Amino acid sequence: MTEPLVTFRNVEKRFADFVAVQDLNLDIHEGEFLAIMGSSGCGKTTTLRMLAGLESPTQGEIHIGGRLMNDVKPHERDTPLVWQSLALFPFLTARENVEFGLKMRGVEKAERRRRALDWLERMDISEFAERNVDTLSGGQKQRVALARSLVMEPRMLLLDEPLSALDANLVIRMQGVLTRLQKELGITFVYVTHSQSEAFAMADRVVIMSRGNIAQVGTPKDIYRAPANRFVAEFVGRNNILSGKIDTIDSDTVSITTPAGQFTAKPPAFAIQSGQDTSFVVSADLVSLSRTAPDGGNKVQATLISEEFIGSVVTLFLESADGHEFKVQMQERELLDLDLAADQSVWLSWSAGNAHILEGG
Amino acid sequence: MKQNRTSNILLALYVALVFVFIFAPILFSLVFSLNSQRFPTIPLGSFSTEWYSKIWNDPDVWRAVMNSVIVSSCTAVVATTLGFCTAYTDFRYNFRFKGLYLALILLPPTIPLIIMALAMLAWLSRLGLSGQLWSIILAHSVLTAPFAMAIIRLRLHQMDPDLEAAAWNLGGSEWQTMRHVILPFCAPAIVSSLCLTAAVSFDEFAVSWFVSGLNKTVPVAILEIVQGNIDPQVNAIGTFVFLTSMTLVVLAQVFLFSRQIKSHS
Amino acid sequence: MPAKKSIDLYALTWRVPIILWQLLFFVGPVLFMVAISFFVVKNYRMTEAFEFVNWQKMLSRSYFWDSYWYTLFIASFSASVAMIVAFPAAWALAFRASDALRRWAVFLLIIPFFTSYLVRTFSWYVILAESGVLNAMLGFVGLGPFTMLNTHFGTVVGYLTLTLPLAVILQTVTMANIDKTLIEAARNLGCKPLATIWRVVLPLSKTGFIIAALFCFILSFGDFVAPFYLGGSQEPTLPILILDTTKSGQQWPRAAVVAIMMMLTLFTIAFTAIALAYRKPKGAK
Repeated sequence: MTEPLVTFRNVEKRFADFVAVQDLNLDIHEGEFLAIMGSSGCGKTTTLRMLAGLESPTQGEIHIGGRLMNDVKPHERDTPLVWQSLALFPFLTARENVEFGLKMRGVEKAERRRRALDWLERMDISEFAERNVDTLSGGQKQRVALARSLVMEPRMLLLDEPLSALDANLVIRMQGVLTRLQKELGITFVYVTHSQSEAFAMADRVVIMSRGNIAQVGTPKDIYRAPANRFVAEFVGRNNILSGKIDTIDSDTVSITTPAGQFTAKPPAFAIQSGQDTSFVVSADLVSLSRTAPDGGNKVQATLISEEFIGSVVTLFLESADGHEFKVQMQERELLDLDLAADQSVWLSWSAGNAHILEGG
Repeated sequence: MKQNRTSNILLALYVALVFVFIFAPILFSLVFSLNSQRFPTIPLGSFSTEWYSKIWNDPDVWRAVMNSVIVSSCTAVVATTLGFCTAYTDFRYNFRFKGLYLALILLPPTIPLIIMALAMLAWLSRLGLSGQLWSIILAHSVLTAPFAMAIIRLRLHQMDPDLEAAAWNLGGSEWQTMRHVILPFCAPAIVSSLCLTAAVSFDEFAVSWFVSGLNKTVPVAILEIVQGNIDPQVNAIGTFVFLTSMTLVVLAQVFLFSRQIKSHS
Repeated sequence: MPAKKSIDLYALTWRVPIILWQLLFFVGPVLFMVAISFFVVKNYRMTEAFEFVNWQKMLSRSYFWDSYWYTLFIASFSASVAMIVAFPAAWALAFRASDALRRWAVFLLIIPFFTSYLVRTFSWYVILAESGVLNAMLGFVGLGPFTMLNTHFGTVVGYLTLTLPLAVILQTVTMANIDKTLIEAARNLGCKPLATIWRVVLPLSKTGFIIAALFCFILSFGDFVAPFYLGGSQEPTLPILILDTTKSGQQWPRAAVVAIMMMLTLFTIAFTAIALAYRKPKGAK
């Protein structure tokens, strides 16, 4: 495996008494689209700002391209950032904004003009080149901000919630623009967001942070299907989490007793022992629903409480006899085929292979 | 509803009356300056530009005007520089004793001018700096810097706090960022501050009178004329002074307001 | 920028020159003035000393204390008049005028603040004179002539020239920031207009009003032009005392005593006013 582009080694960042980032260890690889996700105050923006040199770590080391970066000033780095506020220079035109970084680097006038216009063209906003940025729409400003960073031809682009100010339709469009750009340019994108849908839609790998720590790193699919711990399982949502005690441990299944019944799950990669408290998770779209009891396997009887439609996907909320709430996700058409009535009692079932035991209970 | 309407009319009349009180001296000064009477009253005398031609031909007035122009323009530059540095420091940095630092620049206007005048006179004579035009400039820059600070600080407050970091992020050093981002952003406020501090300096008489020695500025000249007796020349000079400072103040506001409107749209 | 160096030249560039400048030309003069209040004047020359003779002489003279109480009284009186006269106008601008009209009014009211107070005072001198404009107008309706110059009235008119625009601006801005629904709620609950002012508007704008009154007081207290030209200086205020003592006979040390007394008075009053302004209302926790 090649040397990672960025390494964080035991990085800590404190602001007075507040620990923003704690013992952070993370590698970022050349050419990947990495999303750092978490709720506000989790340390994701601080991590990004440390990459840009806007904060320096209190402890630990950050290397970029093999070079120790802890005390390198922001302007001596090659880490352009697309800001949440966009931070376009309001007294300049779109073209002058894009030229700014080149001007600071001493690129000669005609050359920087040509490169700026190239990028504006590439972002489909060349017609606004000579307009003051204050007169542009949200989406156009967004493109200027991207062009302004990418014209620097960096190895890595940092993005801090760049789509949070746009309306829903535009977000989808810009997601397309971003993923296409990243593939075409082949450079590393580090994308900070609180939005799961943005992270999962675009990123090759997702880092989930909580209270200054990394909760899980993995592909979107890993995180979705096999959340490592309760925090991630709850953060990702649309998961059924059941808690109980471990009974028996076989080579290919673990049996767990919960108030809702006895279930089996896949043995985890970490050590467990029988008798210990544990939780496991089954994602809502891997639970099947039937009117009659299925043979064998993991099953539980529950009553339909409510339904929630998002497009053609429907989420059903059900309650088992012991009062546990279950979520089941399916296509609307499947639901119609089942022909359920409210308060109807149905059977939920899932295979042991889709039940993941959470680390830390 | 009807009662509300009468009360509105009464209130409007009252507001008009207050404005009349505030602007009467300015308007009357203008009217008297174009009036032939030596002791102006109603009914007015005939239209006359006598007082203007008198001051036009008075070399003392010209000297005073020259002095005032030098003092107020130099004061404007020094005070705006001081104000900018303080505003930027307040915007950018946090440090111990920052409150004390800000008090150092913001306090002077709260001290009555007559006291500042005495203190400046005593101190500058002690240092051997009194009696010169630049004695006034030194004193005025201290008195007017807080206005500059306030205007520029207000402008910096409107700036996206990420803007400066964005410039560093694009490879600009702190000095380059100052030159290419902070200064252009503050430009309207800087012009506005130059106008306003010039206006304040142009009108200030107490400190100027105490420390200027023989180098009279326009307000000091007026002060010395009115000490003698009623001389309608004062109205002519006064009108000139009003027009100058009002132009400066209106310019200052226009610069500040028009930018604000633009950046809000 | 976060990268720490032992000396941040950039940061110091924006900080140090101002500190030096203000120490040299603001703190220096004020401290030196305190120092010279202990100097002595011999043969019209000031010599360095540390004696209390100036303090003794000034503070034992009845004319100083007459002047002191008179200045305190007339400045407080004029500040009160400014606040009362300004109130209905500020009320109208804050609650009855449109936003645009209010902005224009404030815009206009800022102008006099930066225009020559001296010339405005002189203009009043001509307007208020025995045979001046105001008496001539009153004459048409069979009144007067009144003596207005060289009276307390004249002094107060002069002070108001200085303070009234400020009082209107500060009151307007303060009241315009009150949440209007609170007033509507009070009216809805049957509160009479005057009671609404007294029980809702004034408590809500307490801080702004005290600050406005304080500014009016400070400006009047330190002004020498109005009492000198319009008040006739028969009863000299403290600023006139400073002026006379400084300009005649080089008695700077005694002028310094008066100035320090003024500053102490101002600080005490300003401190009390600000404490009052930001004190939480009774019963609030």
